[in-house]
Amino acid sequence: MSQTTVGKARVSKPPSPWKPVKPQRKVNNINAVPSLNGRWGYLFTAPFFVMFLIFGLAPILYSVYIAFFNWDALGTQEFIGLANFDELFIDTRFWNALVNTLDIWLLSTIPMLIFSIGLAAILHNPALRGSTFFRTILLVPNITSVLAIAIVFGQLFGRDFGMVNIIVGAFGFEHIDFVQGTTSSHVAIASMIVWRWTGYNALIFLAAMLAIPNELYESASLDGAGKFKQFIYVTLPSLRNTITFVLIVGTIGGLQVFAEPLILGGSFNGGDSGQFSTLTLFLFEQAFVAYKWGYAAAIGIMITVIVAIVSVINFFITRKLSGDGK
Amino acid sequence: MSKKFVSIKAAALLATATLTMGVLGFVSPASAVVDCTKATVSGNGCIVLTVNTFGDVIQPALVAAYRNLRPDVKLAIKKSDLDALNGTGLFTQCAAGGAGNPDIAAVEISYSGFWRAYPQCFVDLRNLRTTDGNKSANDLKKDYLSWRWEHGVGYNDAVIGIPTDVGGLEVAYRWDLFKKAGLPYQRDAVGKAWSTWPKFIEFGKKYVAKLTAAQRKANVGFIDNIGTIYPAIMNQGTEKYYRNNGTDQGLLIYKTNKQLKTAFDTTVAASNAKIGTRIGQFSSDWNVGMSKGTFAAMLAPAWMMDYIKGQAPTTKGKWDIAEVPGGGGNMGGSQLTIPKGAKNSQEAWNFIAWYLAPAQQLTVFKTYGLFPSTPSLYSNTALTGYKDPFFNNAPVGKIYGDGVKKLKPIFEGKLQRCIDMAMGSAISLVANGKEKVPAKAFATGIAAAGKCK
Repeated sequence: MSQTTVGKARVSKPPSPWKPVKPQRKVNNINAVPSLNGRWGYLFTAPFFVMFLIFGLAPILYSVYIAFFNWDALGTQEFIGLANFDELFIDTRFWNALVNTLDIWLLSTIPMLIFSIGLAAILHNPALRGSTFFRTILLVPNITSVLAIAIVFGQLFGRDFGMVNIIVGAFGFEHIDFVQGTTSSHVAIASMIVWRWTGYNALIFLAAMLAIPNELYESASLDGAGKFKQFIYVTLPSLRNTITFVLIVGTIGGLQVFAEPLILGGSFNGGDSGQFSTLTLFLFEQAFVAYKWGYAAAIGIMITVIVAIVSVINFFITRKLSGDGK
Repeated sequence: MSKKFVSIKAAALLATATLTMGVLGFVSPASAVVDCTKATVSGNGCIVLTVNTFGDVIQPALVAAYRNLRPDVKLAIKKSDLDALNGTGLFTQCAAGGAGNPDIAAVEISYSGFWRAYPQCFVDLRNLRTTDGNKSANDLKKDYLSWRWEHGVGYNDAVIGIPTDVGGLEVAYRWDLFKKAGLPYQRDAVGKAWSTWPKFIEFGKKYVAKLTAAQRKANVGFIDNIGTIYPAIMNQGTEKYYRNNGTDQGLLIYKTNKQLKTAFDTTVAASNAKIGTRIGQFSSDWNVGMSKGTFAAMLAPAWMMDYIKGQAPTTKGKWDIAEVPGGGGNMGGSQLTIPKGAKNSQEAWNFIAWYLAPAQQLTVFKTYGLFPSTPSLYSNTALTGYKDPFFNNAPVGKIYGDGVKKLKPIFEGKLQRCIDMAMGSAISLVANGKEKVPAKAFATGIAAAGKCK
């Protein structure tokens, strides 16, 4: 086909997207094709953006709006400016929830990182038989309903007849009241999170490990490095980007921990003295128990700000630690 | 406390319900004879009543009975988690102007104070009349306990809900353990021995004094959780957090209410006497402790008897029911409402009037042990003569009937549930030994209640 035919087609009208595009056009007429792709591309991505606008962005903007009101969804709404935020900054329950959330996050993230990298290293070992089977079952905790996990763990951590305490008692120690204690309840909640996310993250780390070029290991072993030294000096440094990714995703999830403390205590107050009340639990309680919708919206905004701050800090720390410096 | 029990059950049942509805959705209504059991929308001679509920508010046996009575009416029941204001979707649907509302929605009594402030979200049942019998809510009122009826009356006097069963509250106790401790163990003697709350605490002290060192180490106690005493005493009064001053909102009096102080102080006294096990109700420890004798007494609404039977079948015959100290009590119960925007409000009203009528409540009592809210049944021999072998042949029908008749209507305000939870947390601080100075816990509770608005 000649150049002129294509040029003629361009000036007359835009071709239908349903007719196959002739391959020459891509090569010969660089300008026409990107504009065509761009226009129809919007249509194809529109379903996501329409849904996002309706169910994602609109509620976010709306909650920002009602955060400045004393909002009774069924009655009257009164504009009160920043009063919700003023109240929030001196509300001890909020700061208590923040401290609890950060504590649970620390207690869950660090063991989870160690366990999942360890598991990934084991799965990475070519000597392991049936690795596909193990890779598959690693995901089972992740697809189990949080409710089911919380009920089972609630029984494990029972004071009188929980399995953990039966073991503790067998060693002659006093039974631990996991739910009533502050640190103990955080440990119980963190253990649910660790159990649930370790396998999932192990698979991410495994994928990253498989991408490490074999030559690195070969030259390391030529230099006399054993398996352990290879892991420390080759595997770990190659994982730093993945660690950053897992940490940031984990931070976003960890700061929104909700179902685990809810089921552990069976109530929205997060324990009698709020010993395991988290930010999202506090938000939910203010909205659906105290009916303070404006206040709950203000808490939601604060959670967003906190997640953003912690994620940024996280990002820089992990960058620094991994010595990337980019 | 009752809510968690219901909600876990509801969560399990929700899965079943969703599955069932999913299957029904794909069955085509192609058969020649009109079979309304497969209908998903009204039409073709079928009326589909959508019901949003939780737990066992709508009993399956009666749904089957109604199907025989009215084959053209299909009940599409959706169970949700109870313990969120919006559990049954009422809140968002009302805020959205009634769009997508079910025909019938159940409201638990801990939320009734809230919903009474928003009668505009419901159909006024005084304006509906049953197809057969021409009865409105005004005609039904006389059938129900007056204090239970009040739970479903809006601030503008509109009737927004009709009472389902009544919880009642008495004490379930292990007579064998009482006997072993050398205490009175026959139900009348026990009821007399703890006729007041201070006497109840004394009774508990005597029981605890007989415990062995090993039992003490294993956290064995007299009552499961002393936190249950506070709400029990609150319900025995005439005012809780509000005073009925003739206005819609009522007057907040919790800061000065003597009943509240008495209820709090009695709970503190029980804490000091160390008669409780500090086990949270509906926790796994509680379920196990029920059969292991970790505690010998618990405050039990009528529906709890079924729960005990389910959790501790091996203790059959070792339990008994005695009158609660102070006389009368309540825990749990719901109202059936017709939300604004319901498409089939007439048929919904026909069903509610039938379902909650004394005859059907009697069936529910016989089948499931839920106690009727219609006092005409309390003299019915089916109730008075009912003895439960699990509870040492206690005449539970009579005991609970006498108890619920003693209660008086209490004005419930919009913030009741919020204040209840604030005070409940303060009680737990004392009950679980986290706050040694009761006055501080009390101040914490009042301060937290003050944030409700």
